[in-house]
Amino acid sequence: MEKTCICRCEGVFLEEILQAIDEGATSFQGIKKRNRIGMGHCQGRTCQPIVRDILRKKVGANSLFELQKAQAPVRPVPLGKL
Amino acid sequence: MKQKVVVIGAGIIGTSVAYFLSKKNVNIVLVDAKDIASGTSGACDKAIMLQSKKWGPALELAIQSATLYKDLEQELQQDLEYRQGGGLILIDNEQDLKVLQQTVEKQNSIGLNVKILTGDEVRKKNPYLSEKIIAASWCEEDAEINPMLTAFAFAKAAHKNKAILRLNCEVLDLVTENNRILGVQTTHGKIYADSVVICSGVWTNQILKTVQLEVPIIPRKGIILVTEKLPKIIDCNILSGSYIVSKLQKEQNSIPYGIGLAISQTKSGTLLIGGSREFVGFDESIKTKIIRDIAKQAIHAFPCLDNIHLIRSFAGFRPYTPDNMPILGEIPSVQGLYIAAGHEGDGVALAPITGKLMSELITNQKIEFDLSPFSIERFLESTIS
Repeated sequence: MEKTCICRCEGVFLEEILQAIDEGATSFQGIKKRNRIGMGHCQGRTCQPIVRDILRKKVGANSLFELQKAQAPVRPVPLGKL
Repeated sequence: MKQKVVVIGAGIIGTSVAYFLSKKNVNIVLVDAKDIASGTSGACDKAIMLQSKKWGPALELAIQSATLYKDLEQELQQDLEYRQGGGLILIDNEQDLKVLQQTVEKQNSIGLNVKILTGDEVRKKNPYLSEKIIAASWCEEDAEINPMLTAFAFAKAAHKNKAILRLNCEVLDLVTENNRILGVQTTHGKIYADSVVICSGVWTNQILKTVQLEVPIIPRKGIILVTEKLPKIIDCNILSGSYIVSKLQKEQNSIPYGIGLAISQTKSGTLLIGGSREFVGFDESIKTKIIRDIAKQAIHAFPCLDNIHLIRSFAGFRPYTPDNMPILGEIPSVQGLYIAAGHEGDGVALAPITGKLMSELITNQKIEFDLSPFSIERFLESTIS
């Protein structure tokens, strides 16, 4: 179970998420800064809801408000086409 | 009894101060309203550049800091993605070249090894560079590091040395008596201390106002673009000449949005492309025009980026001061209250030396560096006159 891959873009596994929470992370941002989750090509589209559920269970905080900031672009765009 | 110090702010500066203090015989509590590297230190690039520093004491500070960085991975026992890969400042017009030549002469005069390369020489270093680049300055001493990893590693090492970390713990008030610091009031109770160090960057005035003080640290927003992962195409720090002009210009921006190119590649393969400089308070929104203009500058220098995907942009707030130098030292009106903030975009480069000097100052050790140019008094005096 702990070897489950949660973020495929950056190759982050469940155990690394749990470790980040152990080290004091209480938000998606906090976990991301510890192991790069959600920093890859899809920008957390798949892993963010899963991490939110883990946070709710482990930290209990209302992690609805702790999501990654929505930043441009909405999807990858070539630099020359901006 | 051991001296007790509270460090406010767990960015790269606060964690460095806590780490260097933790090597001395001191009890430390490091507090942060949020988390390690949750502010400016988690929303910046990764350059440790010497040739971009303002001439004078700030450059001397940066040179000493660069030396400390060389052994930091070994000292902290952690991979910080440190690399002394050198740095380039790109020039695409004769006018900027003249200015750069003068700067390089000055830098050489104090022994900083910077040289001017021709367009062809620089393209030999990096074949992806545009034909429009007519020259560049090259400094072998320029390096890079992952600032988030560094802040976490400083905090971890401080914790190992018995420092206490209090995250999600916001300082509400400074506790003083007879112009002396007694501690801090936080959302999780009072912490008493002999000394308190404010390392709160752009949020410094929020802390200082509780003792009716103010410093001229203003948030300066910088936007950085992140691309998809690429094979290694850039192996050093690269700035454009306009980046330097923009860095040193005052509040009246002559370059719209203060756009100047700063580009580097992370260990994971993404490119970090900066940036802009704007005074817009704490407004985090990102204008499409700025993203487009930064992308244009990147393509101007590296035409091969035209078809490379942008995956994210982010905004960070750099703690600007009017003379582009940080504020380091004790606050004269409150004994035991120290400040180490206002590094603007040099926080990454100056973190180790800031931590080292502040730890020596707070523990009353002899300091082999003249900190007087960085004293808060330079701003207090100007308000009186």
